[in-house]
Amino acid sequence: MTGPGTNANGDRRLHVLLIEDSPADAEIEIAELRRGGFDVAADVVESKDEIRECLGKHSYDIVLADYSLPNFRGMDTLYILAEKGLNTPLILVTGALNSETAVECVKQGAMDYVMKHNLARLPLSVRRAIEETRLRHERTRAQEQLASKVEELARSNCDLEQFAYIASHDLQEPLRMVAAYTQLLSERYRGKLDSTADRYIGYAVEGATRMQALLEDLLAFSRTGRDGLPPAATDVTTTIQEVLKNLAFVLKEHNVTVTCNPLPTILADRFQLVQLFQNLIGNAIKFRGKKSPAVTISAEKKGEEWVFSVVDNGIGIADEHKEFIFKIFQRLHTRAEYPGNGVGLAICKKIVEHHGGRIWVDSELGQGSNFRFTFPAARADRPDKKEDYELSPQNLVSR
Amino acid sequence: MNSAPKILLVDDNPADANLTCEVLATSENPAQVSTVQDGEQALMFLHRMGQFAEAIRPDLIILDLTLPRKDGRAVLAEVKADPELNELPVVIFTTSHSARDIARCYELGANSYVSKPGNLGQFFSAVRSIENFWFGFASIPN
Repeated sequence: MTGPGTNANGDRRLHVLLIEDSPADAEIEIAELRRGGFDVAADVVESKDEIRECLGKHSYDIVLADYSLPNFRGMDTLYILAEKGLNTPLILVTGALNSETAVECVKQGAMDYVMKHNLARLPLSVRRAIEETRLRHERTRAQEQLASKVEELARSNCDLEQFAYIASHDLQEPLRMVAAYTQLLSERYRGKLDSTADRYIGYAVEGATRMQALLEDLLAFSRTGRDGLPPAATDVTTTIQEVLKNLAFVLKEHNVTVTCNPLPTILADRFQLVQLFQNLIGNAIKFRGKKSPAVTISAEKKGEEWVFSVVDNGIGIADEHKEFIFKIFQRLHTRAEYPGNGVGLAICKKIVEHHGGRIWVDSELGQGSNFRFTFPAARADRPDKKEDYELSPQNLVSR
Repeated sequence: MNSAPKILLVDDNPADANLTCEVLATSENPAQVSTVQDGEQALMFLHRMGQFAEAIRPDLIILDLTLPRKDGRAVLAEVKADPELNELPVVIFTTSHSARDIARCYELGANSYVSKPGNLGQFFSAVRSIENFWFGFASIPN
């Protein structure tokens, strides 16, 4: 005997609220359900008050309602169910009902309708109704859980960002005191105390100034994404020109060549985009090899996104370090070899991910690097129209 | 201006106040600096009330924003709204670099706004510049 499984009452019986004024019809319907394999426990009622009373006292797996009773419209049961916040499925079991009315009833919330002259369909209809209700309930619960997880994560993220911002901001003040006064000590008392004291004070000053730089970097990192602008259509070529202007001095100093292939217009925060390219180009210059630095920037449309490449001829990166370098404060070299705190790429990653993209590097030690990152394509992309051209500091100046 | 310039320095951080005074003390024409640590004291000083009955009228006010009891913005607003005091130049000298703070202070009538640099050398330059500008180049009412 196949039952409906454990139901609302925790047993394997089918609890039915049968709204029917003809006792004979009620008997037949119950018999049909039993024939279909259900262990039926039914309450037969015919008035609004009785319905309310039963729904208040028991919980049902299914409501079977006649379409028209002497003092009551079967469909009005839906209002009572809604009133009580119940989502028990309702099946209309009725004699005459034209198909338009039937469809209308289903639209209004009846799960199904079964004609009294074709009651053989009833058990199957009940099974499907119960299964459908169960699925809907599970889906709602899953959605609610997801929504609350998302909310929790968003809140946690916000808290972390705030924490980083406040920590680095509030830590700067006392640190400024330490840095300033250790420096004053070192200036006032240099040569007046012994050389050990001079050395110790030197270490203290170094530590304090380094911590100031770290805090400034941490502040910059935590600000990324916090203080951003809403994304707007940004021409990447214009962005690169701004970056080159910012880096003009360094570009000239190291004789850097920057080549720009056609670049699109994308939806982005233009200040963050400048920061992104400036960090990458700056790194290309900083981590240069023996040759004069050469950087090539290009973009390729792949499906729904633009894939950008910033290729350099610098020192390259070994396989095992490729993920590590994007983490904040992680450095591959000593401070004596290359300056910096290891925030540049972490900021790049944050900016890219904030715009819905991802960033990675293709590289081989000694063979330069290709930093690649994606940006979602704007709905209406301007087609690329600029030709290949070379930007050197001289070209920039003569603009 | 042959007599020593008179400055009212309003800063709740004694270490910062001390640094500022250090720089001012090493100038060619060292200023006479009075220091108070909160906004209420600043106003009492300017109105020569209570313990400040004998206070001098400053030529320049160097004002921090984060102060206990009455913050810098409130002091600035009151000074600039008071016909007896509003001609006194007020330089906001504070750790905040926020664009909002800067705009607000100028709206309230600040004569200038200087953000305190984190680096000692730059801090010295900043204070020196304030002094050079207001007592070297600018003309102030007497």
